[in-house]
Amino acid sequence: MKVLVVNNMAPFVWGGAEELAENLVRRLNATPGVESELLRLPFQWEPVERLPLEIYIHRTFRLHNTDRVIALKFPAYLVPHERKTLWLLHQFRQAYDHGRGETHIPDTDRGREIRRLIRENDVACFRDSAKIFVNSEITRRRLEANTGMTGEVLLAPMNDPELFAGGEADGYVFAGGRINRAKRQHLLVEAMRYVRSGVRLVVAGPPDAPADGERLHRLVREHGLDGHVTLDLRLMTRAEVARYVNGALACAYLPFEEDSVGYVTMEAFTAAKPVLTVTDSGGVLVIVADGQTGWVVAPEPPALAAALDAAMIQRRRTAEMGAAARAAWRELDVTWPSTIARLLS
Amino acid sequence: MKIVVASSFVPFVDGGGRFIVEWLAERLRAEGHAVERIYLPFVDTPATMMEQTLAYRLIDVAQSADRLIAIRPPAHVIPHPNKVLWFIHHFRAFYDLWDSEYRSVPDRPESHALRRRLWHMDDIALREARRVLTISKVVAKRLLDFNRVPAEVVYPPLHRPEQFRCEAYGDEILCFSRVEHHKRQDLLLEAMRFVRSPVKLRLCGTGLSPTYHRSLLETVRRHGLHERVAIDYRWLREEEKIELFAHALAIAYVPFDEDGVGYSALEAAPARKTVVTTSDSGAVVELVEDGVNGYVLPPDPAAIAGAFDRLYLDRAQARRMGEAHAAHVGGMNITWDRVLERMLG
Repeated sequence: MKVLVVNNMAPFVWGGAEELAENLVRRLNATPGVESELLRLPFQWEPVERLPLEIYIHRTFRLHNTDRVIALKFPAYLVPHERKTLWLLHQFRQAYDHGRGETHIPDTDRGREIRRLIRENDVACFRDSAKIFVNSEITRRRLEANTGMTGEVLLAPMNDPELFAGGEADGYVFAGGRINRAKRQHLLVEAMRYVRSGVRLVVAGPPDAPADGERLHRLVREHGLDGHVTLDLRLMTRAEVARYVNGALACAYLPFEEDSVGYVTMEAFTAAKPVLTVTDSGGVLVIVADGQTGWVVAPEPPALAAALDAAMIQRRRTAEMGAAARAAWRELDVTWPSTIARLLS
Repeated sequence: MKIVVASSFVPFVDGGGRFIVEWLAERLRAEGHAVERIYLPFVDTPATMMEQTLAYRLIDVAQSADRLIAIRPPAHVIPHPNKVLWFIHHFRAFYDLWDSEYRSVPDRPESHALRRRLWHMDDIALREARRVLTISKVVAKRLLDFNRVPAEVVYPPLHRPEQFRCEAYGDEILCFSRVEHHKRQDLLLEAMRFVRSPVKLRLCGTGLSPTYHRSLLETVRRHGLHERVAIDYRWLREEEKIELFAHALAIAYVPFDEDGVGYSALEAAPARKTVVTTSDSGAVVELVEDGVNGYVLPPDPAAIAGAFDRLYLDRAQARRMGEAHAAHVGGMNITWDRVLERMLG
């Protein structure tokens, strides 16, 4: 069976979605009887008048010598094919989010017309698709609210779960992933002003911009947190990330309204580490349950500090929650073999 | 420089058109450029080919790339102020094959209208390019005759010619090519009915037409050629291929009217093997001087059989002509240095 994975691309830009698409193709090719390739269609969304053109372009392409299509994004999923499965990483939010300042489409007659065009094409495409999977509970809810269509949640698995075997907990909480204002590592650093248990914080990952790294260094300096907070701000190998996770008491992840569970959460749960998160972290909350697999607290430094202390002081409780987290994660069976099986079902 | 290399493709089909993109991208990267490859789907059915071409025309990579290199049509219509074409073929059914039995469209007014639009579109796309390079004199002549556009011939080099070697002049004539009707492996099988020496023939490669493959097997069976003909209908690894070239007696490549010189005719040079081809094979004759570094024969089984016998019976001549082919192709400056100089200069 020839399975074409269809994704969009912006030339010279590489990120998580690109990574996922490549891994999906690799896993499909490792499946007996399946041959897979990746089609990356350029998508230019600015200026807004590009949007109707992009819809036309994608609807006009023709595919042959392909038995099945798995499409990931708008407008890639508009490419016609009679056997199309969607695995939505997201819809084009700009066409749906009302008055939240997340759109570059103006609130004019023409802007409203363009939004309507996107929605009509979305709905028509979703109706024609054999099956719709979504990458998170949040995407599922949005899909339903926006179009009335039902999607089935299919989380994107990790590629290297074997690295996150867990291990003896040292006295630190680990905050990994990309460093930026929306991921709010600065709240954790500020929380360290209030801890009393001697727990340490390790923040490690690549800053999106130099200012994102400087902000954290400044906080550590201003509050005299040297020795309590370790900042290792760079792109790390997967083995380095795993070493930090495996040796941690717990992991912390505080994104603002994230769509998905997040790789940071998956890594922690795989390694049997509970996750500290906040009430407005979005998709993370689908899996982190307060008091069972981690801590869900208000996005404020004192509340975070209390949870950091709890992780350190109630170490047995922390380890139990870690074990529960790993069990909950295994229960979900988010692995490549089961993901491929569902996509091809 | 940020360079987009764009081409059309058929999913799950490898061939010269894709290698040229992959190898070019690799060389450009090695020179320190940021390179993005964009493969777009295309199905050459007359009913939709104009609309599909319009989709190509609407693509915007001008905002993101400093230069566009377009390979397989209709990628040549993608707009860019710094566009270089390495033009590999026309839509020949609407050009030189229009008045031949190979025209694939019916003789109706709408076909004529489509032809006029295609010519007009090509004229525009070719003229707006900063430079038009092409892969053979055959294609350059068509560009001049039909579009009145002068083009410079830049033969596509091999990926790594230094991997090839010569170890012997064995008993076997080797044909390494996709197995398709117009590659005319059947002509070589017919020739094997007429040989008088114990010379052997090996066909290597796969194709999209199972019926053609079956007909080849049937020819072998009907004429009892098992002893002297081997058909490797599969994709061979590079090392296997190099090994076969190293021990071959000579290389046969007898397609009908090809645009490119054929990679096997180029690979014959570093393997120091002579090339057997036919006068109607197209661009490959640009590499071969009859009787000097190969044979350019009428497409006649008996004539081809005669050449096979001569090479088998006189290995010294097979060697001499193989050496002459290496010298001749070696003197043509078919190198990536030259390609990059013409692409970027």
